[in-house]
Amino acid sequence: MPVEERLFSLVLALLATEAGLTKGEILSTVQGYRQRYSANGDNASLERQFERDKDDIRELGVPLEAIDTPGEPGNNQSLRYRIPRTAYELPADISFSDAETTLLNLAAMAWREGSLSRESRRALLKLRSIGVETSDPVLGYAPRIRTRDAAFEPLNDALSRGVGASFAYLKPGDAAARLRTVTPLALVQHQGRWHLKAIDTGVGEPRTFLLSRITGPVKLGRTPVDVPPGDYAAIALAELDAIWEANVAELEVVAGSDAQVRLGRRRGATSPGEGRLLLHFTDLNLLADELAGFGPEVLVIGPEHLRHAVVERLEQAVRTHEEAV
Amino acid sequence: MARDAQPFAFAQDKLTFLLSLVPYLIDLGRVSVAEAAAHFQVSEKQIRDAVTLIAVSGVPGETTQYQHGDLFDISWDDFDERDEIVITHMVALDDSPRFSAREAAALIAGLQYLQSLPENVDSGVYSSLMDKLARGASERPSQVAIAGSDTTASLAEVRDAVARRLQISFDYLSARGSRERRTVDPLRIDSDDENWYLRAWDHARSAVRTFRLDRMTGITVTDIPVSGSHDDVPLGDRLFVGGDDDLLVTIELDPSAMALLGEFVSSVDETAPADGGVGESDDAGGADARQPAPGRVRTRIRVAHVHSLKRLVTAMPSAVTIVDPPEARAAVVDWAGAALDRYRTA
Repeated sequence: MPVEERLFSLVLALLATEAGLTKGEILSTVQGYRQRYSANGDNASLERQFERDKDDIRELGVPLEAIDTPGEPGNNQSLRYRIPRTAYELPADISFSDAETTLLNLAAMAWREGSLSRESRRALLKLRSIGVETSDPVLGYAPRIRTRDAAFEPLNDALSRGVGASFAYLKPGDAAARLRTVTPLALVQHQGRWHLKAIDTGVGEPRTFLLSRITGPVKLGRTPVDVPPGDYAAIALAELDAIWEANVAELEVVAGSDAQVRLGRRRGATSPGEGRLLLHFTDLNLLADELAGFGPEVLVIGPEHLRHAVVERLEQAVRTHEEAV
Repeated sequence: MARDAQPFAFAQDKLTFLLSLVPYLIDLGRVSVAEAAAHFQVSEKQIRDAVTLIAVSGVPGETTQYQHGDLFDISWDDFDERDEIVITHMVALDDSPRFSAREAAALIAGLQYLQSLPENVDSGVYSSLMDKLARGASERPSQVAIAGSDTTASLAEVRDAVARRLQISFDYLSARGSRERRTVDPLRIDSDDENWYLRAWDHARSAVRTFRLDRMTGITVTDIPVSGSHDDVPLGDRLFVGGDDDLLVTIELDPSAMALLGEFVSSVDETAPADGGVGESDDAGGADARQPAPGRVRTRIRVAHVHSLKRLVTAMPSAVTIVDPPEARAAVVDWAGAALDRYRTA
């Protein structure tokens, strides 16, 4: 029997029950389990299957709950499972206009890689379920949001499971990466870069990490960590914006060059005079990378740290390409 | 969307399809297989397979024996003879499922990203939409957010020309540093995080080209209609496709930097020898037999010309080194060296 048939039967059985079904009842009666159930034998592998199926179903947003049998609180064997209808069903008053549907289509289309692509595709299936016509191709646009950082997927998992995470993090200027153990709060993309807002459990304070500076694998904790509710994503973006606002680089750009044309069109860029450009930035090292790439088209006037960082990169580029390989 | 036509690879996705299909079928009463397939953007076979599975599914029931009344039923005559679906008996399931926290978060973050589009959509539409998604989720959507990206003013003009199917001309600054007036049929606006591109039919080159929006200046929307639909030209996901005159370059890099090469290179040759490629075919001629530095890999990439590559490598010299050809190495030395001269004289 295909896996989806067993999962479908489990969802139907748990939706149909008010009082809930015990694990024993499920394994012995529900399609896909009952065929493998042994009335007086060992059902350990079937029980593990059920545990995995529960997780898979919950991940889809199905509110599969476990309740105590009255009079037997805390007894694991007598837990009763069910899916309450009101928590399962999409509220009846939710509907979408044509303009909204177009936007939802585009939003889903923007995720073309990784788990968010699968999730947005599933969300579209659910929209189609209520009759929303999402088949019209949206002409004119093909948006795309990247999640290139290897750390993105595991950290997104950590966020949705509410567990802690640990990873090696290389802070610019440090000689080696250092292990950080964190409680993730939000993943935000700012200026095209993914950042993690998290409580660094080493210092007990919130920190913002750039995903591209995470070196090596991300390890997830096993048990959920309590996080007080808050709009952490909005807070993280506001903080990054404040940093962006406060940091200004002063540049000299060659007229008509790529640097002048492209940097001059950045949000908030201003020109205090011919060939001069004031540019806001969030991260000095990332800006230094970018400015070094513009080569002789840009000269950094200040701040001094930025100027120094750019010169360092240019020197390294010359050094590594002058030497014999 | 082409990706939707793919069969579902995972049981979770197949289950979501079943849970979504049933309420739709109940709601419509009668629907043809073709219509349902078009609505869900799946093949007709996927619809027929799903309906066949639904028709034998149900709940254990009072007897726990899945008796007839405990199962879904369909009108088999309509199904077998007319390819139409009519559910005649339903159990347990009649309403659409909620979004998961992550599904809602994916769409909400996607909408945040789109907010920078210059459409005539007031922000109220976005916030009411995000609110509905949050309300339609079974748990609080996970905390994933995207700041509105930089969009240059040209986006609005170009988008307008795409919609009205008018030719546009503009000055384009190439990575080489040369400026040229181009006249194109705009086809589609693509984005890649904070970068925006125009895919267009370039009249002078009789081919589809990709232009960075932030390199376009002096845009004129003409009143000349586009020269054709160009429907026969497939616009794939890749922004840049390799040409015959591409430069083949051997680089050494930190594996984590591979993703950063992104759209700069038209293809990455994954099979490139890690040992420097002695005895390899013609193109590896200049590479020597030395092993890459510890923790680094060697790979060959294709680039349109050395100018975009020298910019890329100078931007991340600690992560990427060009090994071969020597001209490409020299281009980096010249580029970075010219910049250093400015600092020395400044």
